[in-house]
Amino acid sequence: MTMVQTSRRLAAVVTTALIFSVAAALGFAADTDTAPKVTIDVSKAGPRTVEAMTEHSILRDYIFAWENLAHTLEANAPDLLNGSFTGASETQLIESVTNQRRSGVSARYLNQSHKVDAVFYAPEGDLIELHDTVQFNLMIVDGNNKIFDQPVEAHYVVLLTPGADRWVVRQLQEVEHF
Amino acid sequence: MSWSINTASPSRSRGLLAGAIALCLAGICYAQTPELRAPSTTVAGSSSSISTTGSGSATFYLIGPGVSSKRDVSLGADVQISSSELQNAGRYLAIICAGICHNAQFFVTPAAPASLTFLVHPSRAPVGLNDVLSGVALPFDQFRNLVLQPAPVKFHLTAGSASILSREISTQDGVAWFRTNSGRTAGPLQVNASIEAAAITSSADVSALRIVQQVAADPCNLRIKGERNANGIVVETEPVRDCAGNPVPDGTIVTFTARGSGDGMSTVDAPLKRGIAKAQMTETGAVVVSAASGVVMGNELHLGAQ
Repeated sequence: MTMVQTSRRLAAVVTTALIFSVAAALGFAADTDTAPKVTIDVSKAGPRTVEAMTEHSILRDYIFAWENLAHTLEANAPDLLNGSFTGASETQLIESVTNQRRSGVSARYLNQSHKVDAVFYAPEGDLIELHDTVQFNLMIVDGNNKIFDQPVEAHYVVLLTPGADRWVVRQLQEVEHF
Repeated sequence: MSWSINTASPSRSRGLLAGAIALCLAGICYAQTPELRAPSTTVAGSSSSISTTGSGSATFYLIGPGVSSKRDVSLGADVQISSSELQNAGRYLAIICAGICHNAQFFVTPAAPASLTFLVHPSRAPVGLNDVLSGVALPFDQFRNLVLQPAPVKFHLTAGSASILSREISTQDGVAWFRTNSGRTAGPLQVNASIEAAAITSSADVSALRIVQQVAADPCNLRIKGERNANGIVVETEPVRDCAGNPVPDGTIVTFTARGSGDGMSTVDAPLKRGIAKAQMTETGAVVVSAASGVVMGNELHLGAQ
């Protein structure tokens, strides 16, 4: 192998590595755009006390639900809900996707930051109500045209119920204020 | 859309025109801006309208929970929003685009309660236990929006003709709940949650009914009797009841234990049939027979050798 061949091969390896690094970085950046930051306070929930393991599960599943919501409404693909929603909330999101497809619109929920308070935990542990104050950048796009791009602060009343292997969102209802 | 430029001084007007063009190029074309005026809130299932200013055509978008519509509209006219587009509670964005996009936001609030989601636990409860029954009621409107306005929910628990509990609790954050003791008598317990029509300016009451089966608690005063027969000893209980006198359900297991004079011991599990458990034991020597069900022990029966 000549010196020229060696240096060409090295250059190809470096270029490939660079492409992968940039792609990974872009992918990571895209993930961080939609990965919600969530803090939860369960100290005021009652009448049942929220155990530490339950709090951890709720936090994990609620983050997952918002990730799925963001991916679904951006890609207009209801499969991306991944079973995080059920009942009225699932129906509503599927309707959103159907209507967005029809109108050629998609929505992006970027840089989500949630502050969640658990306000009610049922005596038998089969229902928890959360109040979520969330800030995000909402971008609505029609084809290639950005028709809305603003920071939003929203207040959601959320009902979660335990499913087979996770907590699922049964109600996700925005209110003007708590 | 209207333009008005003061043309009193040619040089000044040229400056103003250049400024206006510069502003327009920068995307701030103020005089051409269509404006939207939306209602601040609307009740779910009501129609509404959004007024626009300006002239010409534009594209109107309505984005809300479960809603995403797009249509061409004429500026200066009201945009009618049908009741079917405003069924889900939450924030709605009205966006109008005519070159530049402008938006207005409004909220849809839930309508009056039309149904109650009522979770009651457990489905079977032993009688006479403290705080064993609980119920959670959540009012929803006809579009499945959680009604967050406080509403008085009446919880009424009846066993036969006897009232166990009657309590009115106002919903807080869309939830009303209770916890109470079970009754003293086995049988179906009707658990009713209702909101009176007058309390929610509705034409009909909203209610939900659940049934809890109250069953006898653990056996009380387990008593046995027995006698020898050709095969050994036959032992049986008297009718097994709980401490409130309710017959313990058939199928409940009673364990009979026979201890001989040496180390010998044998046990037989027998289910209750018609309130009585009966077992055949093969011991022939002198034995002491006892019975137990759950944590309750019965009397001892001393039988001599055959």
